[in-house]
Amino acid sequence: MNRGSHIQHERRREFESEALPHLDSLFGLALRLTGGDEPRSEDLVQDAMLKAWRAWDGFEVGTNCRAWLMTILRNQFINDYRRDRSRPAKLEFEQVAEGHGAGSLYEADPEGRVFDRLLSQHVLRAIEELPDEFRVPVVLADVEGFGYEEIAETLGIPVGTVKSRLFRGRRRVQERLHGFAEDLGFLP
Amino acid sequence: MTDDMKRTGPEPGAAPAELSCQESLALVYEFLDGELAADWNEAVRRHVQKCRRCYPHFDFERMFLDYLHEAGNEARANPELELRIRALIGAELG
Repeated sequence: MNRGSHIQHERRREFESEALPHLDSLFGLALRLTGGDEPRSEDLVQDAMLKAWRAWDGFEVGTNCRAWLMTILRNQFINDYRRDRSRPAKLEFEQVAEGHGAGSLYEADPEGRVFDRLLSQHVLRAIEELPDEFRVPVVLADVEGFGYEEIAETLGIPVGTVKSRLFRGRRRVQERLHGFAEDLGFLP
Repeated sequence: MTDDMKRTGPEPGAAPAELSCQESLALVYEFLDGELAADWNEAVRRHVQKCRRCYPHFDFERMFLDYLHEAGNEARANPELELRIRALIGAELG
């Protein structure tokens, strides 16, 4: 093996051992962001991995590889998302009943027992079914742990809009979980 | 940007001494997300600590956000995706 191909071989080995173990995390993020679109999520992961491979020489081994890969994937998704946002908004913001909410999940199950009984697939479906406008801020805040300002900058929307979308998006997730819990007989 | 400037909240610096249940609940997520300015944060905390209706509701919302975070991070990629990526890298190397 000549020196050049030996270096390439080492580089590949290093990438495969450092980056590939994060495939599940990347796929999870892609699924959340795309609303459960598996083929699109696989394309996103594949493109992000190839970008990461091409930029691998610039990555400092030992730093947070998962975070680096997630950033590449997220940026790619957000670029598409922001480009698509030039389309007219299809969403009508409904009034959300505030207060302790008659008929809400909280009212039906104030101790949150359903959180132990429902499977993660239910919450994933509830997130996936949110319209884009709600889902992306919810994923960035609740799955990725972004702050409001960071979400506002990432999506190019005002902080006030982030707040209202998170509020409504999370309440919608609760409504959906309420429905799943009723269907499964966990709630009367 | 200072940490305080990053914090959001209704009319920063103007939190009333007393909040109603409705006002506190409208701020529940900003409170739990740690996004309120200090005076509003304190006003919500004071209300929730002494309100028998809001305390369990805030507790519930905290459980909900934890649940969302944990469940939202679970996923398994199709094993074929890994094979495809390995093949693409191999092809780039020639």
